[in-house]
Amino acid sequence: MGAANDTAQNIELAVDMRNISKVYPNGIAANQNVNFSVRKGEIHALIGENGAGKSTLVKMLFGMEQPTAGEILLNGKEVQLASPAQAIEHGIGMVHQHLMLVPSLTVAENMVLGMPPKKGIAIDYQAAVRMTTEIAERYNFKIDAEKRVMDIPVGMKQKIEILKALLRGAEILILDEPTAVLTSNETVELFQQLRNLRDDGFTIIFISHRLNEIKELTDRMTIMRGGRFMGVHNTAAITEQEISRLMVGRDVLLELEKDEADPREVVLSVENVSYTNEWNKLMLDNVSFDVRAGEIVGIAGVEGNGQKELVDILFGLRNAHTGEVKVNNASILGKSQRVIREMGVSLIPEDRMLYGIAASGSITDNILADRYANKEYNVGPFFRAKKIQKDTEQLIKEYRIVAKNQSQQVDMLSGGNIQKVVVAREFSSRPHLIIADQPTRGIDVGATEFIRKRLLDLSREGAAVLLVSADLSEVMEMSDRLLIFYGGEIVASFDDTSTLTDEVMGEYMLGLRRQEKKELEELAYV
Amino acid sequence: MYKRRMVVFNILRGLAAIILALAVAAIFIFLASDEPFEALKQLLIAPLVNFRGESAAFNVQSLYQILALMIPTMFTGLGVCVMFSADMFNLGGEGAVMAGGFVASLIAIYVPMPAGVHPVVAVLVGTLVGGLVTLIPALLRVKVGASEMVSSLMFNYVVMYIIMHYLNNVFADRSKGSTQSFPFIETAKIPQLVTGGSRLTYGFLIALVFVVITAIFMYRTRWGYQVRMIGVNPNFAKYSGMNVASTLILAQFIGGLLSGMGGAIEVLGRYNTFLWKELPGYGWTGITIAILARNNPAFVPFAAFFLAYLDRGCQLMSTHSDVPSEMIAIIQAAIFLFFAAEQFLSGARQKLVVKNAQDELAAMEAKTVQEGK
Amino acid sequence: MSGFWSTVFNAEFVFAIFRITAPILFAALGAIIAEKAGVTNIGLDGMMSIAALFGTLISYWTQSWLVGVLGAVLVGMVLGLMMGFFALRLRTDIILTGIAINMLGGGGTIFLLYMFTGLRGNTSSLSSSNILIPTVKIPLLKDIPVLGSILSGHAVLTYLAFILVFVVRFMLNRTSTGLNIRAVGENSNAARSVGISVKRVQYIALIMSGALAGLGGAFMSMYYSQSWNVGMIAGRGFIALAAEAMGRGQPVGAMLSSLIFGFAQALETRVSGIQGVSSFLVAAIPYLVTIIGLVVFVWSSKRKADKRRRQISTSDGE
Repeated sequence: MGAANDTAQNIELAVDMRNISKVYPNGIAANQNVNFSVRKGEIHALIGENGAGKSTLVKMLFGMEQPTAGEILLNGKEVQLASPAQAIEHGIGMVHQHLMLVPSLTVAENMVLGMPPKKGIAIDYQAAVRMTTEIAERYNFKIDAEKRVMDIPVGMKQKIEILKALLRGAEILILDEPTAVLTSNETVELFQQLRNLRDDGFTIIFISHRLNEIKELTDRMTIMRGGRFMGVHNTAAITEQEISRLMVGRDVLLELEKDEADPREVVLSVENVSYTNEWNKLMLDNVSFDVRAGEIVGIAGVEGNGQKELVDILFGLRNAHTGEVKVNNASILGKSQRVIREMGVSLIPEDRMLYGIAASGSITDNILADRYANKEYNVGPFFRAKKIQKDTEQLIKEYRIVAKNQSQQVDMLSGGNIQKVVVAREFSSRPHLIIADQPTRGIDVGATEFIRKRLLDLSREGAAVLLVSADLSEVMEMSDRLLIFYGGEIVASFDDTSTLTDEVMGEYMLGLRRQEKKELEELAYV
Repeated sequence: MYKRRMVVFNILRGLAAIILALAVAAIFIFLASDEPFEALKQLLIAPLVNFRGESAAFNVQSLYQILALMIPTMFTGLGVCVMFSADMFNLGGEGAVMAGGFVASLIAIYVPMPAGVHPVVAVLVGTLVGGLVTLIPALLRVKVGASEMVSSLMFNYVVMYIIMHYLNNVFADRSKGSTQSFPFIETAKIPQLVTGGSRLTYGFLIALVFVVITAIFMYRTRWGYQVRMIGVNPNFAKYSGMNVASTLILAQFIGGLLSGMGGAIEVLGRYNTFLWKELPGYGWTGITIAILARNNPAFVPFAAFFLAYLDRGCQLMSTHSDVPSEMIAIIQAAIFLFFAAEQFLSGARQKLVVKNAQDELAAMEAKTVQEGK
Repeated sequence: MSGFWSTVFNAEFVFAIFRITAPILFAALGAIIAEKAGVTNIGLDGMMSIAALFGTLISYWTQSWLVGVLGAVLVGMVLGLMMGFFALRLRTDIILTGIAINMLGGGGTIFLLYMFTGLRGNTSSLSSSNILIPTVKIPLLKDIPVLGSILSGHAVLTYLAFILVFVVRFMLNRTSTGLNIRAVGENSNAARSVGISVKRVQYIALIMSGALAGLGGAFMSMYYSQSWNVGMIAGRGFIALAAEAMGRGQPVGAMLSSLIFGFAQALETRVSGIQGVSSFLVAAIPYLVTIIGLVVFVWSSKRKADKRRRQISTSDGE
């Protein structure tokens, strides 16, 4: 089925990435010995969960990163792709998730940016419009060349990105999770367009984790998991269950020492919460669940199914459109972060550099951030400097933060230690509810183990913990109760994760299965 | 060890910038002057050393004059430190200084009060008015999102013209040749600290007191802490529960208060009437001081002294040699550009230092993990 | 009160508006180009002052007003290059770089004047009518009553200022350079992704900005005031920033905003002699108007953006 086979049968390979490995300086291996080959003139899916390594792989194909080992062949010839410009020269075009368009310029202007047709000293705008409409018509795209990009819908913006690549001579198109921002109608249109392009001889690499779309659109697929290559298959010949089995699975069994949970009163109560985002997409659909003191409730699910929006709502960064959220029976909707924290809620944010720390501040500065107004740290208008120092030192010791001293700038620390600073602050405020969003992502083993143990201890001491994690082992083994999100809804709830298989997990996470309403109600403490 | 290395490195980098700037000035002096060495001597040494015949003696009066020059700029420097720490480019210090001076003058002229109380009240009112001048652009920025930089620049002119209107049409002393107000009542003036006409008043001590107060505010109180954190990462500040909007407004208000106080103290200390016909320029010097002090109030006196020294040097240079005193503008601009640029000139060197630190930390980590096993 | 109106509002007055607006307009166009490229140039005031000085000096040395004007433009471009060097290469904050240029334009110019000529304070001893920017009486036009006296007889640069409004608009909207400038300023990642060198484009924008400031400075010292003195620019560089903001970053909009300032300043000079009207308060009006205009602009563009986003999503979300 693989590249060697194809070559032997003289099937032309547009892309052949062999034994690709990518190891980052901090030791994390994003890709390990991956083989990825794409035939000319096919639509090939690259599937995997977030963190599976597909983005990294594709970045290397587009010259944005360099492989640590392995080679890349295009149309049979080995190439070095040191920059996106070089990749473009070789006929590779990429449509990124964050669109690279200039909003106040027209479609035509965006299309010819960097290579506009000229008439004397001016741009031949009519020619640009002509070029745009011609190439759009040739591939059956309906676009309005003279509209400004800020005035057109997202679906059309994507089409322009595709056309931009085609205009620059791309024969291989990479689309990175294109349907994440599209409505179902736009998705249908896009797929038709992609099929037309394939029939015209273009090669398309389609990155996604949505099984129904992959089944519908693609010819073959390559599955990745945990940075490794899990096989390449004909789409028609593989079932969604089989895909799910290959995509989703634990690589490590953590074997945590976990005491039995003894849940008490309800701390967090989420009732019928719905949320529509700014592009009118329904991200949360009537979600309800509880978290009790002394238990860890885990939320599993492929990213993009509403988890981020839920966490934001729980911490007051977004507002639910319907429904109610209560902490210890008091509503948190519409409240500021200050009030929510005072109600006993702590958050380990997903993006620690953006929200979790003040990078150029000291460790002391960062730990003080949620308690600077506390009576114990202030006498009149002044800080109790000695007490602050003492408590910070104590926390540094307790959380085993490796640093010179407490005045050290936080962004000088390693990733794991930065997270430990965040955790030291969030855990030490004696919270009633801890929301942990990807708490161990991208950090070293030692810090990971430490944080997990801490979270367990706090739970058993009586805190309510909500754990959102893309790390399957983590979320399955740490949770006392597990909820699975798909499409903005809870599709499964489990009281006992010890008997759950990876296969079943995968099916729920990828929307192949869902529990009956009765089942959900029975198992969840709703 | 690492921290000490960084501190030393920073100091050296700053010194290099200053030396570079002075070198640029020296080049200009050589180009412009027929007696460049004399000019340089006046610029660099004469401010503190009196040359009479063969002997050189320490010139105390000149030192007092330098200290007197520092008074308004210490205040504006402190004000800018606070505002820039919040990452707000509110340039309203100019207007605040002038407004503070004007309003304090009015109280000094028209509202008789017992001695001792009179200057205090005048300065306090001037301070408050100064705060209002920077408050308005701050509110516009926080409530509407309009650039505080443009609105504060414009507002400076509005303030200036309003003051000019009142000075010329309502409060002018028509018996005098140039535009000025009536003289201050004696009780309102800020007393001199030393004799000799250097205009070194108690205002200097007040400025030092406020250096301490501002430093304590920024580093030892919860409000200054919030100002700094918001300046570093407003997202983090919001997530941690800080009220970003009100802190931004507070920081800019304080900046105006300090500038207004500086204006009031300067006018009541140095002059007998209010005679500023345009924005006095202390605000821009304050920005230079804040850059040199790296927004740390504790360093403001040093930066202010340095600039005042050079300012005096330029005055002497223009008196005793043929170089115009406006050389100070070129020096300030050069210091400004190189000092703030130095941030990245040694970008490469920075990276090395950082890498060094990370290696050290990694080693420490490994040791800890080992011990933990 | 009819005396008031006829004193103030007549052909001479309108003529003065154009004359007063021109230097602000030059600087405003410079502000627009820099802003569009994402490198706010708040050093325009200083640039104008320095360029004005050199315009006078060079025209005196060469006894040619044309060479003087070109010299001023060149000086402005060099200053733009300098700003680019400090802000783009050495990474000084662009705002601080602009402030430093303004400092140079303040006292530094007096120093430079001395350095080059030994004069102190101003160049009035240097000027003679043959090296000033000439005025032009447009044939035919000049004979039309009223309109003729408004539009004919301006300095060459006055006409140039208003012509440049459309030239700059053309450059920004229709040329490759302008397209790059707009792309770089709005989404530098997008520009980079198609191979545009962001730094190079920003350098070019700053140099153009400096050239326009040079024209504005030359206008001031070689026509408006007929000599150079420190403080002659009187904050016009800052007013230009306001005009850019109020004109929503569009050349024609900036022209209209600049005309408002020109009007206010022309009014001030006419009215300052009249009893009961304070010239100072009138002088403050343009600045107040700017602040109000700025607030309105920001507030309304935020509302527009929200409305647009809602419109787009509802249109395709069947």
